[in-house]
This record gives sequence, structure tokens and C-alpha cells, in this order.
Amino acid sequence: MKMRRDPRSEREARRSTGGERPRFSLMVLKPAVGRLRRSPRIVRQAATVSISPRLRIAWNGRVAPQASGAVLAARAPVETMRVVAEPAFHVLVVPDTDGEGGLSEIDRQLIAAGRSLADSGGGAVCALALQGGDDLGGAGADRVIAVTGIEPLAYDPEGRTAAVLTAIAILSPRHVLFAETPDGSDIARRVAARLGERLFAGADALEAGSDGDTRALRRAQGGSLAQSAKLPRLVSIMPDAFPLHAGLPHEGRPLDEVPMGAADRRISASRPLTVDPDTIALEEADFLLSGGNGVTDWQGFADLAEALGATRAGSRVVCDQGHLPRERQVGASGTLVTAGCYFALGISGAPQHLQGITRVGHVVAVNTDLHAEMIKRADLAIVADAQAVMPALIRLLAERKGGGDD
Amino acid sequence: MIRVAALLSIGRHPASGRARRAGLDARGLELALRMPNAEVRAFHAGDPHAASLRDYLGMGLETLNVLNVAPGCDPVPALVEALRGVGPDLIICGMRAEAGEGSGMVPYLIAEALGHAVVCDAAAIECASGTARVVQGLPRGRRREVVVTLPAVVLVNSAAPAARAPAFARARRGRIVPHPVEAREDAFLAACEMRPWRARPKRMAVPSGGSAQERMKALTEAKAGEGRLLVNPVPEEAARAVRDYLVEKRFLRGAGDGDGRG
Amino acid sequence: MAGALAGWLTVGLLVAAVVIAVHHSRRWRAGAAAEVDLVAGLKALPKRYLVDVHDVVGRKPFNARFHALTAGGFLASLVLLVLAVVPWFRGPLLWGLAALALALMLAGALMVGWRRHVVKPTELSGGRFARLPVSLIAYAAGLLVVALDRVAGGALPHGVTLVLAGVGLFGGADLLVGVGRGPLKHALHGALYLVAHPRPGRFSGRDRGGERKRDSALAPLNLDDAKLGVEVPLDFAWNRLLGFEACVQCGRCESVCPAYAAGLPLNPKALIQDLVGAMEGGAADYAGHGHPGRSVAGARGPHLPVVGEGAAIHPNTLWACTTCRACVDACPMMIEHVDVIVDLRRFETLEKASAPGKAPGVLEELRIADNPGGFPAVRRIDWAFDLALPLAREREKFDVLLWLGDAAFDLRGQRSLRAFIRLLKKAGVDFAVLGEDELDCGDLARRLGDEATFQDLARRNIARLEGLSFRRIVTMDPHALHVIRNEYPAFGGAFEVVHHTALLLELVEGGRLTLGSLSGTLTYHDPCYLGRYNGVTEAPRRLLDMLGMERREMEFSGLASRCCGGGGGTSVTDVAGDRRIPDVRMEQARETGAACIAVACPNCTVMLEGVVGPRPEVKEIAELVLEATE
Repeated sequence: MKMRRDPRSEREARRSTGGERPRFSLMVLKPAVGRLRRSPRIVRQAATVSISPRLRIAWNGRVAPQASGAVLAARAPVETMRVVAEPAFHVLVVPDTDGEGGLSEIDRQLIAAGRSLADSGGGAVCALALQGGDDLGGAGADRVIAVTGIEPLAYDPEGRTAAVLTAIAILSPRHVLFAETPDGSDIARRVAARLGERLFAGADALEAGSDGDTRALRRAQGGSLAQSAKLPRLVSIMPDAFPLHAGLPHEGRPLDEVPMGAADRRISASRPLTVDPDTIALEEADFLLSGGNGVTDWQGFADLAEALGATRAGSRVVCDQGHLPRERQVGASGTLVTAGCYFALGISGAPQHLQGITRVGHVVAVNTDLHAEMIKRADLAIVADAQAVMPALIRLLAERKGGGDD
Repeated sequence: MIRVAALLSIGRHPASGRARRAGLDARGLELALRMPNAEVRAFHAGDPHAASLRDYLGMGLETLNVLNVAPGCDPVPALVEALRGVGPDLIICGMRAEAGEGSGMVPYLIAEALGHAVVCDAAAIECASGTARVVQGLPRGRRREVVVTLPAVVLVNSAAPAARAPAFARARRGRIVPHPVEAREDAFLAACEMRPWRARPKRMAVPSGGSAQERMKALTEAKAGEGRLLVNPVPEEAARAVRDYLVEKRFLRGAGDGDGRG
Repeated sequence: MAGALAGWLTVGLLVAAVVIAVHHSRRWRAGAAAEVDLVAGLKALPKRYLVDVHDVVGRKPFNARFHALTAGGFLASLVLLVLAVVPWFRGPLLWGLAALALALMLAGALMVGWRRHVVKPTELSGGRFARLPVSLIAYAAGLLVVALDRVAGGALPHGVTLVLAGVGLFGGADLLVGVGRGPLKHALHGALYLVAHPRPGRFSGRDRGGERKRDSALAPLNLDDAKLGVEVPLDFAWNRLLGFEACVQCGRCESVCPAYAAGLPLNPKALIQDLVGAMEGGAADYAGHGHPGRSVAGARGPHLPVVGEGAAIHPNTLWACTTCRACVDACPMMIEHVDVIVDLRRFETLEKASAPGKAPGVLEELRIADNPGGFPAVRRIDWAFDLALPLAREREKFDVLLWLGDAAFDLRGQRSLRAFIRLLKKAGVDFAVLGEDELDCGDLARRLGDEATFQDLARRNIARLEGLSFRRIVTMDPHALHVIRNEYPAFGGAFEVVHHTALLLELVEGGRLTLGSLSGTLTYHDPCYLGRYNGVTEAPRRLLDMLGMERREMEFSGLASRCCGGGGGTSVTDVAGDRRIPDVRMEQARETGAACIAVACPNCTVMLEGVVGPRPEVKEIAELVLEATE
């Protein structure tokens, strides 16, 4: 209910006592009854970012800390970390490794999904550590359990299976979450088969069931059906299905290291193969160097692909002319590619060609025509003769390989 | 002579929803058929009258053993029983079925029951005495070679060579040998609820902080690409821009890293 | 003396020729059984020769003339010489007639010689054929002098006439013995082939609009046969083998073949000769152009596989054919090259599944998703959401069923379809579409040799169409038109199908569409499946002429139009050549100087629009008509 303002009593409230003349403070002291009048001066003061060397005012409310410092100081002391001291149960999270030991995006999603399961009943998320130094707590993990005896970066699915089984034996978790990634899904299934338990593979979402328990949802029947079931113990989680942990960091307290139980290793040796990028199928390739009508020096094109470590591809015209084999053709009538980076040289970008690169991450284009569709599509567009840029880029890359950075 | 068992399932065409040979199982069969010195036997658990089984025969199989497992029943015990009778050195199948639950558990359960090793993501297999060299196809065109002690279950992914086309006449000539088996209903599947899949909005990482307008901008601008444009630079400048972009986006390693991407 | 001797020797030579021909016939008689009505064939022979063969031969008037002179003179002289055996006939009259026949033949032989050794068309074969004018002239000239001498009552010395008769008969021997392997082989086998032709339907006269009825439908294959398609030469029916023997290596097929023109590894003449060589086994006896980019064939024999890397015919040759029927249309011996190609492809696809390129994947999609791209069925119609197309299944009765075809999955095809649909609406045509219920017509599967998939699609389409009540089908796709109109009847589906150009013409002539006038120049590219397959070449031109644009004709047009390179599954088998077929065709369009090339087939649109560089604008006829109505 809005009250009628009484200017006289407001004025009286501002009266300074003492003194011969009546004096009134212009500052607003406290909310009076009714709605307050906007004070341009105060608003301006709060919005002032700096006054030197010249006055800057940010009216959008994004104010630098020094200006709003007073406000921050006025807040109650901030809770900087959440601790689950006495968990009702554990949720074990088995992070995937991205091959470099870091915590990958899916690992963070995995921990966050575990977080939501744990928070629904006072549980704690315990992450299986593969390597120290990761911000598991920040991602939402309460505990970190390290199992000794496995090489964190080696391909050792059987050893890692044994490590997970060891952790499960120690923690008796209510849920175990795996990443539905090439390596993660393998571990998940090995663990499930060994335990003789059902794996809920590739969960896409969690939802509340009618009787209050959590149900998980996955795609079945080639993706046409949604299969939902009461969440079993073992769950693997689809990438990009769950949001990251956004709240306060958790404790991430390391538990005592546990030695790994016996692993029956049948995969004896593994080594990464060096793959010539040019032998990779277009669908698989991550970095494509694609040539079009604007390329005339095909040897130079091949040299550039080699220098970049990219897979060669081309437009229809180029494949028609036989400069590249047909299986290197990108486009609606060729291959639909999913590369992370598509470097287009001298390709104008016919609609059929652009149809082939809709799922590409980054596009770099060099073309003489400013109005070419490919230039519009590109993240980095260079209006230049591809034929001139090619040797310059080869030289630049050779320089870098030969000596120090420029 | 190496004894190979290929496990074949019935797939599902993603657009028409019709039954077909399962893409990955077919690739597995292709690997098996290409293997020199191999005696290949093929197994399917399901309806022996399914027309799409003919597609496997069309690839050059003479006989296909079908364990008559009713829909909704657990095929694993029947498969384990049948495979035990054959004693294969190598069991090959696709990573995941296209139809049914498609959890990809069956080969792991078979391996567990038979005490076989498991290798996933196979793109190529080469058998020696007592071991097999498996090349795994990893994301982004990477490859890894592993050596596994036989007997083993090898799961094939889409990096394996494409399956040969089935020929109508070969499919007509091939024989389907049905085997009656007992199978129990899969209690878990029966308890699951099934409904048509409806695509949900894709989850995006929402940047925090800033005004709503800024967050919106941050999300939508990334989609539209940075749209950096250089008009008629000298070739050296263009080359440097490209190089810097590629290094920034991690498609080229910085100086001194040697041979490009790993 | 010399006259009687010549007569007797001629008889002897004829007997030898018969012996050789009978011996030789074992080769083609060993072919698979075929149902042939020999009596009807014999009765029809004169007409087939004089009308149908002559219609083809007569396209090159000079050739027709020398052929008539040479063949007529030769045959007449043979008869007269045989009569000279009987003393009673021998007299000035006989020799006078013989001299006349031989003189005519000599004239023809000189023309043959002039063509072979002065003009030298590149498509002609050498070898035994290079000797042909010599033998012809020797025979005609030698015996002409003898005959004249007889007429004059023996003016020349005996020795001279004997020598001349010898020269003449030596030439005659070369010709007559050639019924086995030489140039004259075509005469005997050509005649027999006309009697036992595997497509008697193609001779059955003319029909609407003076356009020749085209018997172009492929024959259904019985899928229960022990062997599907043709593997070895002897799997061909005997009358097909006879047809190969009839080949006179004139090279007309070679000069019209779009694949050969673009340097793809296919020469129809060499293909037929490969088969002749395969029947014979052993080394090649062929001195003409081969398949571009391919060396001479590998192992061959009547019982050896025809197609293979090291066999008589390389797979690339087989898969380079666009099934445009230009060779069939140009062949004076009525050889059915496309049937041969498809028979061989049937074995390759159905028995070996060895179709190259994207063909296996496309065939699998056709089998499982009912369209070559593996798209959801709804994609055939969802682009036309805004057009609110009436669906056949929701209509009890309607006039015209619009068959969308595979163009509906392609952005470019959708543009043309959109134009045509707008015209249908403008003209108030009562039409509907099958929409999601439409399956691929099966053309692609059938040309790629996948008869099983074709028959499945055909039967299911027929069942769907028969459940509806409509008057006729209209389609923009000549391939669908051909398949539904000409090939579905073998599976029990009889539907009236018209091409959209015919319907548009009807609408304009009936006053339901009023056309404004467009300016500029255009040239019309005849789709093979509309022109050569269905004989429709005039209706689209009449429609185009109503647009008020200047129409120019390309070097190859009408029934002799050159393929765009999009037929017969060549766009999925993708055999490489020196150039692309559409580039060759576009070159011809450029030469007309026309600003626009009007097309009437979605495949042609895509192929011709794929040509890079400056070129006439490619427009579907419906798009042009729509422009003219607005």
C-alpha cells in the first residue's frame, strides 16, 4: 500500500538540531514511509568510477570495486567454502582423463551432477583422483580419494577398473558416476560387468519420480525413445547434459591414499600411433585445410597442409578437376565434416559447400572476393589471394620450426 | 587358424526407424571377414525371421546362427552358452546396438562370463599367436595401438573400415540357422518407463556477472563467430594473422613443440 | 569362259560363306535362351530394314547413298553372277544387267573409299575395315570389265579377262569370307538380328504427334533366377550376342556418347567389340578407338567373367555409362547398348555388390529409407509447409497427382517445384501430393543394376497409387516419368503420366495461364529421359516459344541431345574422366550465345548449374513460365 508522502514531516526529520538558524540535511537518512524520491546526486555518486584523470560515470551499474567498496564492507562475512563434515552417503565420481591430466569439461559436469545427487540428501561427493593439483573442490567435490598403483596418464583400462573397484569397496558409495566418453564408458562397463550390476548408461537428465526418488533418463532405441528408471548405483553421464557447479567451492579434502586391488591386465602394451593427418577420413579430421578454385599450386597446397599438420580437403570443383581425390570433397554431395577448424583457401562458399561445414568449430577463410559467402561465414576472414598467402604461411611456419618465435 | 565369432545385432535406421544391419556390427563383421586365416562364425540373438539379418548374409556369410531370444529377454546367457560351445579366440562386435536399450553392456558381460579380455574402440585388428594387435580409433582422428592377450572381445567403432555392401544374391544364398534357447525376461528393462524422446534445449554454459543484456550478448556473440576481417593485407601480414589465430585456438602448437598436434 | 568361271566361283564363294556363317553361328547360338517370334520377325524384316534401319542410316545422307549403291549393286551382281552358271541365262542381257549393277556398286565403292581414305572420320575402325574399299573396288571394277567384255562379245584377250575376273573374285572372296570376321559380317548378322531383335516393340511404328514410339523400358529381371544379371558372355541371350556380331563399327555411337566426349573410360563401340572379342576369346581383333584412358582389355573368353579389373571390360567402363541411350538411338544396327550395360550392372550389383563410389551407400539408403539420401520421409514435403500442399491421402478424389521426386530433397529442386506449384495454383489445377507416402520411384536403383530394390519400391509405390482416385500423374522429373509410365506396367501399375512441360502447355493453350512476354535468348537442353526415352521434344519447345524469347538450338538437340551427365547413377558412381560431362554440354550451350539455358529435369539442373565459370543462366522451364505469368 502506497502512503501519501508528507513533505512537512520529512522536512522535520532532516532538521539538524543545535544552531541558531534552522538547518536541514540533504542526505537521505533512512527510508521514510512511502516511496523515496530518487536522488540524482546519490545515484551519480554511487556510479562514479573515477574522477581522475577525468570523470567517468558508469550508469549501467557496473561499478569498479573501489567505488562500491563501502557496500562490500557492509556485508556479512562471506562463506568461502562449503564443508560436508558428516555425509549421509557418498557419491563416487570417476573423472575421465583428457590425456593431459587436467580436469576436463565433462569431469566438471560429472562432479556437478554428483553434487546435485549428494545435496538432495546430505551426501558428499568423492572424486577419484587421477592426478594432484586439480581444483576438484572448486568443481564441487567434497572428498578426493587417490588410489595408488596406476599410471594416471597411461592407457590402462584394466588398472583403472581395479582402482574404481577398490574405491567402491572402501566407500560403499550410494552412486558411482562415470563419463560417457570413449574411455570413461569403457571403464564404466568394465566395472558394471565385474560387479554384476546394472549400469544406467549415458544418462541425459535426472528427474524427480512420482514417489520422490530420483529417476534417470537416457535415450534408447537409437535415440528415438526416452528410457527412464529409478537411478541405479552405477550411472554414466552424457557429455554436456548437466550444468557445471556454480555455487561455492567445496572442500575437496584428500582422503588417505589406498593401494589398488589386484588388476588382471590382459592389455599389455599400448602406444599412440603417429597418424599422417592426410590419411584421416574427413569425417574424423579435426583440422582441415580446404582448397577451392582460388588455389592453383597444388604442390604448395600439399606442403602447407603438411606444415600445418592439417588434413587436405577441397571443394567439388577441385575434386572434379582431379586435384584431390573424390573422398576429399567437402559439401552436400561430398562429406559433411565436423572438424574443429576449417581453413578454406580460395573457396567462395557455394551453398552446397557451406552445407558441408555447418558443424565446424572455427572457420578461417582466405579469398579474393570480399562478398564471398565463405568470408561471411568465417571467424577469421582474409580478403587476399590464397595463392600468395600460401607460400608466406609456409615460410612463416618453417621459420618458427627452424628457430625461435618471432 | 583363428576362431572368430562375430556378434551381430539388428540396427535401426535413424531417419526411417526401419530395421537394418547395425552399422558397427557390420564393420565388425567386415574386419572378421578380412582377417586372413580366420574361421568366422556369426551369432545373433533375436528373431530368426528378421529380414535385415539377410544383409549380413549378403556380405558373404554362409550361415548365421540365430539364438531365438524373445524381445525383452536377456540375450547374454544364451550368447555365453553358444560362444562357450564354439570357444572363439576372438569375439568381434560393435560398440553399441542401434536398437533396443543400446547400453553397450552385452559384450562386457559376455567377456566377464567367459573370462575374456575386452578392447574397445577397435579400428583394426591383427592376430598373432595368442595375442592380437588392436588399433583403436580415438576422437579427432587419433589412433592408439594396444596388444591384448587372446581370447578377447573386441568392440569395433566407426573408425573401422566401412562394411562392404550386401549383395542381394549372396543374401539369398546364405543360410539362417535358428537355435531354440531359453531366455528370461529382463526385469530391469521391464521396470523401465519408455516414452518418445523429445529433444530438450541444449544446455549452455551461462557466464556469470554483468547485466542480463551482457550475458545474452556474451552467449550469442560467440555463436556468430568473431568475424575478424582483414582486407587486402600483404601476404606476410595475412600469414601471421592466420598463424596467430590457429595458435590461439590451439590448432597449431606454439613454437618449439615440434611436430604439431598430438 | 571367264563369265561362266566367274559364275561358278561366285557360287563356290557363296557356299564357303554359308559354311563360314554356319560355323560362326555356333558362337552366338550358344547364348542363353530367349523367347523370339521368328515368324513375325521374318515377316517384319523388310519393314524393319527399309523403315527403321534406313531412318538411322539416312541421318547421314552420303552414307545412305553409298550404302544403297554398294550393297544393292553387290547383292544384285551376286544374283546375276550365280545366274551366269546356267548357260541358258548367259547372254548380253544378263551381262548388261550385271555391268549396270557392278557399275553402281563401283560408284558406291569409290564413295566408300573416298570416305575412308580421304575424309577419314575419326570414329571409323581400321584393320579389316581399311581394306574394305579395296576389296569392293577390286570386285566391282574387275567384274565390271568382264561383264562389259561379255556384252561386247569378248573384245578383250582371254588372258586379260581371266586376270580381271580373278581380281574381281579375289575381292569378292575377301568380302564374302568376311561374313565370319570381316566387314560383311554385319550384313548377315544384322539381318538375322533384325528378325530376332530382343525389342520388337521399337519397330512398331509411330504414334502421337508423329513422334516415334520409344520402346525404352528395361525388362524386369526374375529375382528367383539362379544367376542374376550377366556374368560371362554366354549369359547373354543368343539374340543379344547376335546383335554384337551385327556391329559394323561405324562409330556413330562413339561420336554421340557423352562419356566418350568427356574422356570417361567408355566407348560404346569398343564396349560392343569387347563383347565380340569375349565371345571369341583370345587376342583383340579390333582396330578402332578404345575406352579413353584404358589400355586393351584383359583375359576374355565365352566362359570368363566379362567385367573385372583384368577382364574384358573394366568396371569403370561399365559405371561410366549415363544410360542416355544416345548410342542406341544412333546405332544403325539397332544394338541395345543400355540393356547390355544394365545386364552387366545387375550382376555386379546383385551378385557382387561392387558398384563403386557412393552407389552402395545410396542403394542401402534406398532400401531402408526409401530415398537416396537416407532422409526422414517428412523431408520430402516439409520445405513446402508454407504452400499448404493438399495431401492425397486426405483427398477422396482429385485430378492431378503431383509426383515430387527426389528433387524435393534438394534446395535447387525445391525452387523449381515451388515455381511449378505456384503455376498449378494460379491455373486452379485440382492437385494433390503423396507427401510422406511418396517413395523413390526406383530409377536410380534400377540403372545401378539393383533390380531387387527397384522392384520393391515399384511394387510399394504402385500399391500406394492404386489406393487413390486421380486422373493422371504430373512430374517434373523425366526419370520418374519414364519409370512410372513405361516400367511400372510390368509390375501391374498402369498410370497416365505427363511431364510438367506438357501440362503447362495444356494450361497455357487452354487459356488457364496467361503468359506475358519475356525478352532475351535461350536454348533448350532436352533431358534424355524425356526426349530419347519418351520421344517428347516438341512440347517443351512449343511452350518455350510462347514466352517470346529467341530460341537457339545447340549442336546436339532434340532426340540427338547430349546428356548432362546426371543419369544412370553416374553422379553416385563418379567415374573420373578428362572432363566432366556437364562441362562438355555447357560448352555447346555457350556456343549458341544464348543467355539462358532452359532445362526440364532436376538432374540436368543440378549438373548444369554445377558448371563453374561464365555460363548461361540455368532455369527450369516452370521458373521461366512463372516469370512470364508475373
